[in-house]
Amino acid sequence: MKLGSIKYLAGEGVKNTWSNRLMTIASVGVLVACMVIIGLAVLISENVSKAIGNLEQQNVVMAYMKDYSWALYDNDTDDTSSETTEAESTEEADKNGIKASDYVIHNEEEAKALCDEIAKLPNVAEVIFVSSEEGLNSVKESMLEGQEEYFTFLDDEYGNPISCAAKIKMKDMALFGQTVEKIREMDAISAIQSYDDLAEKINSIKTGLGVAGVWIIAILVLISLVIVSNTIRVTMYTRKLEISIMKAVGATDAFVRIPFVVEGMLIGLISALIAEGILYFCYRVSTETIISTLGTNDIVKYGDMAWILLALFMAIGVLAGIIGSVIMISKYLKKEGSEFAAI
Amino acid sequence: MEQFSSSNENSMPQKPIIEFRGVSKTYQTGTHALEDVNISIAKGEFVFVVGSSGAGKSTFMKLIMREEKANTGKIIVNGFNLTGMKRKQVPMLRRTMGIVFQDFRLIPTMNVYQNVAFAMHVVGAAGKDVRREVTKALAKVGLGHKARSMPSQLSGGEQQRVGLARALVNNPDIIIADEPTGNVDPNMSYEIVTMLTEINRQGTTILMVTHDHNLVRDFQHRVIMLDRGKIVADNAGGTL
Repeated sequence: MKLGSIKYLAGEGVKNTWSNRLMTIASVGVLVACMVIIGLAVLISENVSKAIGNLEQQNVVMAYMKDYSWALYDNDTDDTSSETTEAESTEEADKNGIKASDYVIHNEEEAKALCDEIAKLPNVAEVIFVSSEEGLNSVKESMLEGQEEYFTFLDDEYGNPISCAAKIKMKDMALFGQTVEKIREMDAISAIQSYDDLAEKINSIKTGLGVAGVWIIAILVLISLVIVSNTIRVTMYTRKLEISIMKAVGATDAFVRIPFVVEGMLIGLISALIAEGILYFCYRVSTETIISTLGTNDIVKYGDMAWILLALFMAIGVLAGIIGSVIMISKYLKKEGSEFAAI
Repeated sequence: MEQFSSSNENSMPQKPIIEFRGVSKTYQTGTHALEDVNISIAKGEFVFVVGSSGAGKSTFMKLIMREEKANTGKIIVNGFNLTGMKRKQVPMLRRTMGIVFQDFRLIPTMNVYQNVAFAMHVVGAAGKDVRREVTKALAKVGLGHKARSMPSQLSGGEQQRVGLARALVNNPDIIIADEPTGNVDPNMSYEIVTMLTEINRQGTTILMVTHDHNLVRDFQHRVIMLDRGKIVADNAGGTL
């Protein structure tokens, strides 16, 4: 097709959009509504993902080690066991009756080596060593004012009852249970404190959001397609005389189709720009309110999403325009001149 | 009544531009529109197609324009074999024809110039060619001074002349006129057929469907008469 023809056809498409302006305004209105809903779904999903990300960061696993404290308080080592080795039997017990072979982690180096071993597991994002002292301090800090004194007798008389531990963060919450099991199987680990329920909930929220997002977008894209097709059909009816003459004088299918495709694309583009503007305004107003009311600043910034949303809207608009007009006009292109005039 | 004749008909017959060989057309409703039609129209001929309603005239024209397909037989138009012709080739066939409709079919939102230029835009003509040819076509039908008028400001005869200019503007080999005088007064009818005769003198083949016996009698051209889907008379080379 010649450049002159393309220019002529693009001009015809723009002219159609204007001469059919009432229908164009109606279509743009519905498309803008669809796009704003899609945009809101994307923004809400992004914000929830961010919030979940924060939750994930907080959802840590504490793996307690088999150290001296464990041997002293938790381990039911039977001193009466007859199956003691010769080395063990000759080993000297301390004042609490604990021998070195009664526990696995004897010092901080061994504890840190265990942390390194845990860090090598595939789904582990970060491992922080928490010493017995730090553990006890953390328990004391969690007590109400004055209550921390209840623990001081432990220090003085029996020593620190809290075992040293590895504070573990996971990469993927979907593999949470699996990773916890692997850690539990380690010899030097005595107990694991985790929030399996929370991990499961986070997982199901993420999956649910993903599925809902896909459905919302799919349904609204379908609605957009129907709306654009309908507008194109109305334009086609108003131009059936022209189309019948076009066909009679030898217009190709592409020549007949292009102005409609241009019209569909134009409707999509105008809608995308308006939707972007409306969404920006609404999001700014609502986030400003949320920030001032809740005092949080942990909200996705529109600027970070602006280009993605504009690209998404334009893609939806242009695709709906092209597909809608091609579907609609192809149905009628097979009709011949006089049949077309008689529609 | 004055009698008119085309000089082109008196010259030596040329090779056929339209050929029907054993053509039959039956619609899905079971109506037999044409039955075993055999006809040959030479390049440069002026042919009136006459017959009562339902005789098959419209089907005959539609088959030539490839708006309909024949059930049996072979149709050749301007070198195109219409039997088994692919859909995408149809526009190329139609670009060799100009079509004049009984109801003018002018686009009411376009002025006279734009209505004629439209036919050139469709075939992808360049802007300067459009300006030159449209001006020439409008001058040929005597409407150069009404180029900026809207169709609603024209009489029936003038509207049909615009239709004729639109059919002419791409310099077609064949003009198919489907009752072009059906909606105009008798004087204008004569004027339109006179114009068609003039165009025919310059070598364009004309096929005109008409019910007007006076025109057929006064313009002495070849007449093909159809009745119930069959050619019942054809004065090729003689009088009817």
